[in-house]
Amino acid sequence: MKSYKYNYVFLMYDIADEESEAGKYRVAKVFKICKRYLSHHQKSVFRGEITPANLLKLIKELKTVIDEELDYISIIKLPNASSFCEEKIGTKKIDGESIFI
Amino acid sequence: MKTRYILSMGELKRKDNSIAFKNEKGWNYIPIEGVREIYFFNEVSLNSKFLDFLARAGVVAHFFNYYGQYSGTFYPKDYLISGDLTVKQSLAFVEKRLMIAKSIVYAIAKNLYEVLYHYYRHGNKELKPFLDWLRTDIDKLLEKELHIRQILFIEGQIWSRFYDSFKYFLPKDFLMYKRVKRPPNNPMNALVSFGNTLLYTKTITAIYHTHLNQSISYLHEPREARFSLSLDLSEAFKPIIVFKTIFELVNRRKLQVSKHFEKKLNYALLNDDGKKIFLEAFENRINEKFKHTTLKRLVSYNRAIKLDGYKLIKFLIEGKEFVPFLLKDKK
Repeated sequence: MKSYKYNYVFLMYDIADEESEAGKYRVAKVFKICKRYLSHHQKSVFRGEITPANLLKLIKELKTVIDEELDYISIIKLPNASSFCEEKIGTKKIDGESIFI
Repeated sequence: MKTRYILSMGELKRKDNSIAFKNEKGWNYIPIEGVREIYFFNEVSLNSKFLDFLARAGVVAHFFNYYGQYSGTFYPKDYLISGDLTVKQSLAFVEKRLMIAKSIVYAIAKNLYEVLYHYYRHGNKELKPFLDWLRTDIDKLLEKELHIRQILFIEGQIWSRFYDSFKYFLPKDFLMYKRVKRPPNNPMNALVSFGNTLLYTKTITAIYHTHLNQSISYLHEPREARFSLSLDLSEAFKPIIVFKTIFELVNRRKLQVSKHFEKKLNYALLNDDGKKIFLEAFENRINEKFKHTTLKRLVSYNRAIKLDGYKLIKFLIEGKEFVPFLLKDKK
């Protein structure tokens, strides 16, 4: 499958915030950038529908913020929201992906 | 995710260059890059800073009052402006209005035929005279030299005969008897009004992303203080999106008069549960994809509304024949 057909992503980040003072600022910055594109799923996991063009923009913005020596971000790309199966345990109070609020 | 419906009471604000919504359950974050329009169905407080942010992101916001009546649209500054097209649109209103109006009425008739044929095929033989009338008589009627009033009369006839035909395939408590607007008086009228309003607002958003001028229309009289072009363009999609959604919900008993309508108001208003069911079905229907005949790729109905806008532009600038979306041809 060609890369431009991916329209749904999971994004997970590990920011080295315990090593230095600067790390704490980077966490906040990464969080704020991700929040503009995807919905917050778990502590350091975002997910949601995103267009290929917006994904490129997101990656570019993230690259300017993180320290590539210390931090690690992984993005799992999927064709659409129905191409995976989810099992849930426990409760999640707010569903950020619902069309209703 | 392109559309968000706000059904709960709360406060909306701009936070970290994105949207944050606070209701009694807590904070709720909407990613700004993934949203194209927001519907407000409840009391929400917001400030001008937030509206400025929406405008810069090109997000259209539609407001509804307590009774689900459409109160207006926050329309960001036009970013696609073409003086040339506006001039041509006005010129076409003077010279070619009848031609465009006729093709819109033609599309309504054809799409209604497709929608009703399903019920005819499944044993509702009483529909035959109306279907025959839609298929052959409308073509003949529209071929003649007509005044705009006569075209509007034909359109009115099509709709009123269509509403009459409900008695053959809908349950008794959902019959309409007579179309009553502002305000609707029974469950069916309420559903039709609500669906039409939603489609109208969706079309406003679609036209916002084209160069067309919203106020110059052809079938409807271009009046002050409303976007009449979106009334025109939404017309061909009403049978496919609004009525198919309604028939599905009613015939599969997903919406029931006693459960999903307000008893206090003579069942002429959807309650919160009913609204949610209707909006979800509507959203699924408008995002449903089909294979477009000329583009040869999957296209959603939402996109097809915008493509109809492009067709109108092609007609105005290049003189290519304007035929609104037809369900049969899928283009």
